Amino acid sequence: MMRRLLIAWSVVMLSAPALAAELKAGDRAPAFKTALLAAPTNEFDSSALRGKVAYVDFWASWCGPCKQAMPVLDTLYKKFGNDGFVVVGVNKDAKPADAERFMKSVAVSFPLVADAGNVIAQAFNPRHMPTGYLIDRKGHVRHVHSGFRSETAAELEAQVASLIKETP
Amino acid sequence: MKRLLLASLVLIATALGAGCANVNAWQRGHLARPDMQLAGDPLAKALNKTYAAKEAGTGSAGVGEGGCGCN
Repeated sequence: MMRRLLIAWSVVMLSAPALAAELKAGDRAPAFKTALLAAPTNEFDSSALRGKVAYVDFWASWCGPCKQAMPVLDTLYKKFGNDGFVVVGVNKDAKPADAERFMKSVAVSFPLVADAGNVIAQAFNPRHMPTGYLIDRKGHVRHVHSGFRSETAAELEAQVASLIKETP
Repeated sequence: MKRLLLASLVLIATALGAGCANVNAWQRGHLARPDMQLAGDPLAKALNKTYAAKEAGTGSAGVGEGGCGCN
């Protein structure tokens, strides 16, 4: 009895940090509602992404590759926006002022949202910064981009071009 | 008595082990601050780099940069 209790205790205590699962390709994308960074009184609802191809990108001002990714994402957003492609940038800065400074140096046209309570981050559980989730028109995650390298841009463009052809 | 000692050790070890919490990727902003670096002073950093190059041994001065795990 004592031994079983000890084993159960050990499993519970040591597995707790590993319990949160990472969102992966094939999973249903979590729904979320949050404030827009540029206009905190305005709410962004992920239901607006329904029927569209979406790229949810987790970024922060302290992350170098996030800065590299922004212009590429903006170009794709402008190129495929009329075909139903949306980019949403989820900011993970602890201080809003850091995000504001970043937004002044790297201007983008797609919506950037806050995640004050870490609700979105906990739902997606990205393991790196940046991490982007390419979501199809049916709301399923199709590709996960961990980090941002020079080859990511072409890869992502090909994936977006392929997904926008799919019907909802 | 032996069992009690063993049980106590397991309890202490697991409690301490559980204290080693993971820092999530999105929470590494504080770790990426310049004042959180092991070698925050640029001059000390340069000296360490020179020392490592002259001695043909890198890595002895700890890890540089931090935060997003991308550097």
